[in-house]
Amino acid sequence: MKFYKDHYDVIVIGGALAGLSSALMLADKGLDVLVLERHNLPGGIATSFVRGGIEIEAALHEMMSIGPGDNRLKVGKFFDDMGLDIEWLQVPECYHASLPGLEVTLHPGLETFSREIDEQVPGTYDKVLKLLKLCDTVFNSVNELSIHPMSKPQMLMKHEAFVKTAGYSTKEVLDTFDLPQKALDLLAPYWIYVGSGFSDLPFTIYSVLMADYVGYGSMIPRKLSHEMSLKMAERAEELGVQIEYRQHVDKILVKNGRAYGVRTARGDEIYSDYVISAAYPNKVYTSMIEPLSEVPEEATKMVNGRRLSLTAFSVILILDKPAEELNIKDYSIFRGDTMDTDALYENLAGLGPYRYLTCICHNYGNPGVTPEGTCSFSVTVLPRVDGWKTVKAEDYDRVKHEVAKQLIDDMSEYFGVNLLDHVLECVIETPMTIAHYTGAWNGCIYGYAHTMEDHIVARLQTAEEEKFIDRLEFAGAHAISGDGMGPAVTNGRKAAKNVLDDIAARKEADR
Amino acid sequence: MKVKNFLTDVGGASRVTKARLKAFHSASPALTDVDPIGNVSREWHPGPIELVVTKITPACKTAKTIRFERTDGKKLPFFYAGQYIVLDFRIGKSLISRPYSISSAPYQARAEKPFVEITVRKSKGDGFICDYVNDELKVGDILTGTMGLGQFYYEPLRDAKHVVALAGGVGITPFASMAKEVVNGTLDIDLTILYGSASSDDIVMKEELDALEGACDKLHIVHVLSGDEPGWTGEKGFLTAELIRKYSAEDTTYFICGPQVMYTFLRKEVAKLDVPARRVRFEVFGQAKDIAMYEGFPTELRHESFTITVVRGISEVEIPAKATESIVVALERAGIRIETGCRSGECGFCRTKVISGDYFVCPEGDGRRAADKEFNYVHACAAYPLSDMKIKIPIM
Repeated sequence: MKFYKDHYDVIVIGGALAGLSSALMLADKGLDVLVLERHNLPGGIATSFVRGGIEIEAALHEMMSIGPGDNRLKVGKFFDDMGLDIEWLQVPECYHASLPGLEVTLHPGLETFSREIDEQVPGTYDKVLKLLKLCDTVFNSVNELSIHPMSKPQMLMKHEAFVKTAGYSTKEVLDTFDLPQKALDLLAPYWIYVGSGFSDLPFTIYSVLMADYVGYGSMIPRKLSHEMSLKMAERAEELGVQIEYRQHVDKILVKNGRAYGVRTARGDEIYSDYVISAAYPNKVYTSMIEPLSEVPEEATKMVNGRRLSLTAFSVILILDKPAEELNIKDYSIFRGDTMDTDALYENLAGLGPYRYLTCICHNYGNPGVTPEGTCSFSVTVLPRVDGWKTVKAEDYDRVKHEVAKQLIDDMSEYFGVNLLDHVLECVIETPMTIAHYTGAWNGCIYGYAHTMEDHIVARLQTAEEEKFIDRLEFAGAHAISGDGMGPAVTNGRKAAKNVLDDIAARKEADR
Repeated sequence: MKVKNFLTDVGGASRVTKARLKAFHSASPALTDVDPIGNVSREWHPGPIELVVTKITPACKTAKTIRFERTDGKKLPFFYAGQYIVLDFRIGKSLISRPYSISSAPYQARAEKPFVEITVRKSKGDGFICDYVNDELKVGDILTGTMGLGQFYYEPLRDAKHVVALAGGVGITPFASMAKEVVNGTLDIDLTILYGSASSDDIVMKEELDALEGACDKLHIVHVLSGDEPGWTGEKGFLTAELIRKYSAEDTTYFICGPQVMYTFLRKEVAKLDVPARRVRFEVFGQAKDIAMYEGFPTELRHESFTITVVRGISEVEIPAKATESIVVALERAGIRIETGCRSGECGFCRTKVISGDYFVCPEGDGRRAADKEFNYVHACAAYPLSDMKIKIPIM
């Protein structure tokens, strides 16, 4: 029986947000696309599962780059343009910060956010607002430059702040604002969403993070992230994309430096003009390219020269009381015993006790997400892969439970309520869980660390030279824009654009 | 470069680009990167593995315990006591899968001579595969199995240390696994099993259980016979609230596994205990015995047959289907492989897109996601055709 066509324009490995974004964009331009996804549903970690009759969000805390209906940001606009009708709910706050000497909830809007910080640390309004506006300027430049690359002199004319901050870390730039420590602490909690300590985090990335989340707030889909993933998949199929679930791609077929298809674990060999891989370059260059002799030395050097960023560990509880009765008052809580991001980054290299926790109570953003009289509460740490790489299979269950217990105990102490007395359902997601369901290399969901040695500006500058295999593109957290569900979409679109540009260039050359 | 001058520094982009290239330049060219986290995930969940039957022993007059080892002799995957294994059978032209609670213990799967066991009772004429396992399966037969599935296990962050298991008939199997793990010292709970059987002849794994009970003071097994039996001095009757209360501690988690009739009875009895919902855990009960009995099923269609067009990739085939048999059963009869897990509508392994046609979903244990419902995805083990249909399933 014949399950595949003889040939596709593009094969996309992985039907998560990046791969589906690629597929949508390519199909929208009339290309014949096949998506092969290893799991039996789309989305990767942008998914949900059902326990005890309750549907539970697997990963999404808050989606950036959507923006309100009348002022869409780039991801929201892309979804609209593709005809996706996702029911977005605005997350009510930026976050509640629970830090040494600080218990404060901050809300979106650059002015609002600055004013709320000023209420805690009087006299900082102007400086904080100036910083946030600088972030916003850099953010706008990044958005524009990612679509319309331009020459350096042009960039300097039109995108001065972007150019002039590009060489500096977040810490270096923040230091110039001469803010009191408490104000700096309140400007730091989102750091975990980009996952590098401030002395190594490019200010460019900090800018995007702050301008997007603080400026516009964040969104979640009413039917959890599976709504977003499924609507992308359904729309892609409407546009003619063939999506096949439960298909593991083992090999990317390469000849004379050019990708020409894939082989699945089932043994199907499928051919195409282009391959877009959501599998990590680490996996592609060490085991998927067939033959491996086609992998140039530069490719393995690049893989070895980059640092994997963060993975995720979450304990998700369905509790048998409404949130307010358990003293849970916010959608999002960042809790740390310090806001020294460099020290916290070190702490993430181990297996706990973890010092910086990220908590979500979905009921505050999505009322009715759990049955009456219950609530959903998750505690997440985003550790580096380093510590988890040392866990052996026989110790896995013990380590997993020890870490989960620490997270629940810490938050129980904070709320003054023993959460363990209220657990209807308890799900522990680990780096191994992520690896199991998505195949992500070492369960890493953040791709490569955003550092001064692996700067997004540098990534953009050298992208062309890092195409080691012709007609093979990468889409996923490991691609240029890095981690996060919003950037995943951007990464997918970028890979699709590269394919479209390449096709156009070849046509031009043939003329 | 002085930081305070950053607003006049236009060389940053070139500088960071050089830094990046330098890092790559000095990196090792060896293909040595490894994925230990992925490897652990594969040790726990390797997917289907090849198993060989190495031992068959009677578990009572009407049930047998089947032991499997890996054909490659390796250790079996980790699992939690109470979880199940899905075995794939090829019988005639049918490809059929079945979930069975594992009756051996997790430590035995990782022992020097590793094995996994299921215990299966012969049916009363309606259990095609149960009878196949009892009558046809023999030492040396090779099957594929996927193990470590299901949510029916003790979770220390959720459950009370004192566990009362309520078992009926062959529903003892997950508790046999837990009991062995308790005796081995690798499951730290106080376990009391209230085990209901019709007569002492019907007690599955009686000798094995009795031997375990004597071996550890954290394990108590209480047989409860529903029929009158001369000389029986143990508990009698059904697993009533009164009896359950007698063996409960102040904070107890109840695990329940048995036939569907027992669930109907126990739901009422457990309600009388007045314990919080989080303390009561039912195992999924498998395929509905008679779907036409559920409210909402159009009984006028119960004898109807339909055609299902099955799409896999770019191919399509038509297969016959009955209104009272799930889509999974229709596929299996036609020899089309579909992955299944719990076969109770819950786990979603058999998630299937309905392209067109009407269907009925078993309301019990409906584990579909909200967005899946909106887009006509069903769990095919719990969905029944009510017209000709067109569905899309994964290529297997």
